[in-house]
Amino acid sequence: MKSLAAALSCLALAATASAHVGSPNVFFEGRAGVHPVRVVIRPPQTFPGLAQADIRIADADVSAVSVQPAFLDAGSDALPPPSPAERVAGDSQLWNASFWLLRRGSYGVEVSLESARGGGRVAVPLQAAALAKPVMPPALGVTLLALGVLLAGAAVWIAAAAARNSGRARLAAVAAAGVCCAAAYGGNWRWQQMDRDFANALTKPLPVGAAVRSADSANVLELTPTREAPASAAWDTLVTDHGKLMHLFLVREPEFDAFAHLHPVRRDPRSFEGMLPPLPGGTYQLYAEVTHEDGSSETLVSQVNLPPPVGLAAQAAALPGGVICLSSTTLATSAAAPTALDFDDSWHTGISDPARGRSTALMGGGRMEFLTDGELVADRDTSLRFGAFGPDGAPLAIEPYMGMQGHAVLRRRDGAVFTHLHPAGSMSMAAAEMLAKRDGTVSPMPLASGARPGEVEFPYAFPQPGEYRMWVQVRAGGRVLTGVFDVVVRERS
Amino acid sequence: MIRARMAPEALLLLAAICVPLTLYWDFSWESTIGVDRFFGPPHAANYLAVAAAALAAIAMARVTTAAGVGGVALGRARAPLGAWVVLWGAGAFVAAMLFDRWWQASYGLAAGLWHPPQIGKAVAYFAVVAGAWIALVARQTSAGTALAAALAAGALLALISVVTTAQSFANRQHSSVFYELGCASYPIVLVAHGVAGRLRAPASAASAAYMSLVALVVWVLPRFAATPQAGPVYNTLDHMLAPPFPLLLIVPAFALDLLLRRPGRGRGDFAFTALECAAAFTALFVATQWFFSGFLLSPAADQPLFAGGGRQWPFFLRIDPGARTAFWDFMSPDLDLASAGSALCLAFAASATGLWLGRAMRGAR
Repeated sequence: MKSLAAALSCLALAATASAHVGSPNVFFEGRAGVHPVRVVIRPPQTFPGLAQADIRIADADVSAVSVQPAFLDAGSDALPPPSPAERVAGDSQLWNASFWLLRRGSYGVEVSLESARGGGRVAVPLQAAALAKPVMPPALGVTLLALGVLLAGAAVWIAAAAARNSGRARLAAVAAAGVCCAAAYGGNWRWQQMDRDFANALTKPLPVGAAVRSADSANVLELTPTREAPASAAWDTLVTDHGKLMHLFLVREPEFDAFAHLHPVRRDPRSFEGMLPPLPGGTYQLYAEVTHEDGSSETLVSQVNLPPPVGLAAQAAALPGGVICLSSTTLATSAAAPTALDFDDSWHTGISDPARGRSTALMGGGRMEFLTDGELVADRDTSLRFGAFGPDGAPLAIEPYMGMQGHAVLRRRDGAVFTHLHPAGSMSMAAAEMLAKRDGTVSPMPLASGARPGEVEFPYAFPQPGEYRMWVQVRAGGRVLTGVFDVVVRERS
Repeated sequence: MIRARMAPEALLLLAAICVPLTLYWDFSWESTIGVDRFFGPPHAANYLAVAAAALAAIAMARVTTAAGVGGVALGRARAPLGAWVVLWGAGAFVAAMLFDRWWQASYGLAAGLWHPPQIGKAVAYFAVVAGAWIALVARQTSAGTALAAALAAGALLALISVVTTAQSFANRQHSSVFYELGCASYPIVLVAHGVAGRLRAPASAASAAYMSLVALVVWVLPRFAATPQAGPVYNTLDHMLAPPFPLLLIVPAFALDLLLRRPGRGRGDFAFTALECAAAFTALFVATQWFFSGFLLSPAADQPLFAGGGRQWPFFLRIDPGARTAFWDFMSPDLDLASAGSALCLAFAASATGLWLGRAMRGAR
C-alpha cells in the first residue's frame, strides 16, 4: 500500500534549491584514491525515483565501482546499501549505476572504487528536487476523460439496475450521477491543491531585493531578502565557497556586453553589500550563489538598474578599445564596510556580439580559444576546454583563481539556463568539502595535471539546446582575464 | 458438475481475497525494500488479482446470459449485479492505473497522500471486492457458499483495514480519529453481512475471516528475508515488515450477530436496530482496542505472533525511541466524550447503511 509510504516520505522535507538555473545534473571531476574519475549524476524529477550516475575511469585496474547516496539530514548510520555500477557496453572506461532517492533534499553520493592500488572513494554533493510542473499529454487527457465519462455512465446504469426491483431506479440513477459529479469535482479540487503544493516546492531561483546607492564616489550594491523569501532563506547560516560567502554575477541585458563576478560582504543576516566596479550603466540580470551550512545551495536572482559609474571609475569605464577585462589588485576581503572591491572581484566589458568563433580577445592583446572539438549537443557529457595565450601566442601561465584553475559561467540567451562551473565540476565546493570532512573522503579538487599549460577544462553537459554565452575566467600575471564565447547547442537526435 | 459450475464463484472469491493480501504485501515491500517498480512482485500479483476477478465476472456473465434468465440485463448480456460491479471496478482500475502511471512519473509518490489516481484505485479495489461480496451473498445456497460469502465480507473488511493502515498503528489506537474512522466504516460491512449472511453468526464469521487474512500476512511475510534498497534507513530491517496486527473485530461482530439474529426482529424498527448496532459496536470496539493496543505496545507483544512491542516500523520512518511504545496524541487528540459521541453518530450512520445494504442484498439478483 503506497499511501503510508507516500505520507511518511512527505515528512520533514526542507525546501531546497539548486545553485544553478535549469541545470539539475551534477558534474564532478577529481580523484578517488589515486584514480582520476569523472562523475555525472542525473537526479530524478520525481520522488521516489531512480538517479543515474555515469562514472568515467581511465585506469584499467579498477575492478568494481559502487555508488551510495547518503541523505544528509539522516546521519551516516542511515545509509542504504551501495548500488553496484556496471561497465557500459562498448566503452570500457565508462561505468553506470542506478540508485533510488526516496525524497528530495541534499545528498552526498559516495562513489567507491576497488582496484589493485587500494581503490578509493569520493563524495559528490547532490541536490535532488523537481524543476518544473508536469503537464498531461493531450492524448492521455482525452483518453482518461473518455474513460471517466464511460465509467460514470456505467455507474449510473448499475445503480439504476440495482434499484429497479424497489421501483426507485430513477432516484438511484440521479443519486449515482450526483456522486459521480461530486467525485469529479472533489478529485479536481484535490489535484489542484496538490499541484499548487508541488509548484511551491519546485527548485527555482529565489528572488532577492537589489538596490544601488552612491557612497564615497562609488556605487554600492545592496542585497536584501524579498518579503516572499521563506524563513529558511536567512543568510545567517551561510558557509564560504571558494573562500567567499557569496558569488555574484552581473550580466548586462540585452546586449550581454558587460559581465562582473563579484563577492559582496555580509553586513548582517539580512543584507549583503558590495562595491560595484565601473560597469556601464543599464539593466543587469543578477545571479548570486550562496551555500548553507547544511550543504544546500541557492541561486538568488534579481534585475538591477546600474547608474553610470562615478568618479575615477567613470574614466576607467570610458577607456577606448574593444575589451576591458579587469580585476581588483587590492586585498579587501571581509572588510567591515564595502569601501573597496574584493581582491577576487573581476569584470569585463566588450563587444556585444562576439563572433561565433573559437577565439576571443583578452585585454592586453592576448587571446582565449575554445578548444573543444565537434559540435555541442544537449545532454551529452563533454569537456569544455579553453586555452589562454599571451600577445606573443605563448600559453599563459595560469594561476589559481579562488583555488581553481578557472571559472566558467554559462547562460542561455533566454535565461532558461544559468550555471557556474569550475574544473572540479558544477557542485558547490563548500558542500563538497563538508561532505569530505563528514565522510572522511578526500575533498574533490581539480586535477592539476589534467590540462596542458595555458589550458583549462570544465566538465558539463548542456541541459537544453539553444544559444549560449560563456564567460571563461582565468588568472594570469595577477589579473583575472575573461574570455567571451557564443555557442549553439544542438538538440540531441 | 456442480463444482464446475461454481468455478467462476471460486475464482472470484480467490481474487477478492488476493486484493487486500497483495496490497498488504505491497505495503510490506515498500516499508522494507522501498524500491517500487510498476511490475514489482506485489504489484504484478495485485494486477493478476483484479484481472482474475474480471475474468470470473465475465464467466458468470456468460453463464447467466446463456441461461437467459436472472441477473441484470444490459442489452442481450446478463450478469449477476455483483459481477457487473466487479467489471466496473476492473474498468475503473485500468483507468486509474493509466492515470497513476502518469502521476508517478510527473509528481511522484512523495508529492502527497491520497492523490486523485490513488483515490481512483481505492474506489476500483472496493468495487471489485464489494462486487465479489454482493455476487457471493446472492449465491448462498449451502453452508459452503455461505462461508464463501463470509470470506468475501472478510476480504472487504481487510480492504478497509489496508486503506486505514496509517491510522491503525497500535500507537494511534487511543486517538479519536482511529475510533471515528473505525466506527464509520466497519459496521457497514459487518451489519450488512449480519443481515444478508446465511451462516448462524455471519458477522462473526466475516470478522473471523478478516482477522485470519490479516494475521496470515502478519505471520507469513516476516519469514522472508529482505533489506532496504533506498535511503535513508532509519530502522534496520532484515525481513519483510509485518503490518499491524488485525483489529479484534470479532468482539463487536459477535454482539451484532446477537442483536441482528434476535427472534422477532422486523423491518419496522430500522432506526432502533441501527442505533442498537451502533451503540454495541462503538462500546465494544473502543473497549477492546483501547486495552488491546496497550498490550500490543508492551514487551509481551514483541513476538512473531503479535508483531508488536513497538518494533515494526517502515525503514524510512524516523521515530523517537520513546515514541515507539507510546500512544501518540500529537497527530490527533485522544478519544474523549465529544469524539466518542462523534464516533457513535458515525457508527449509527454506518449501521443504518449496513442495514439498508444487507436488506437490499438479500433480494439482489
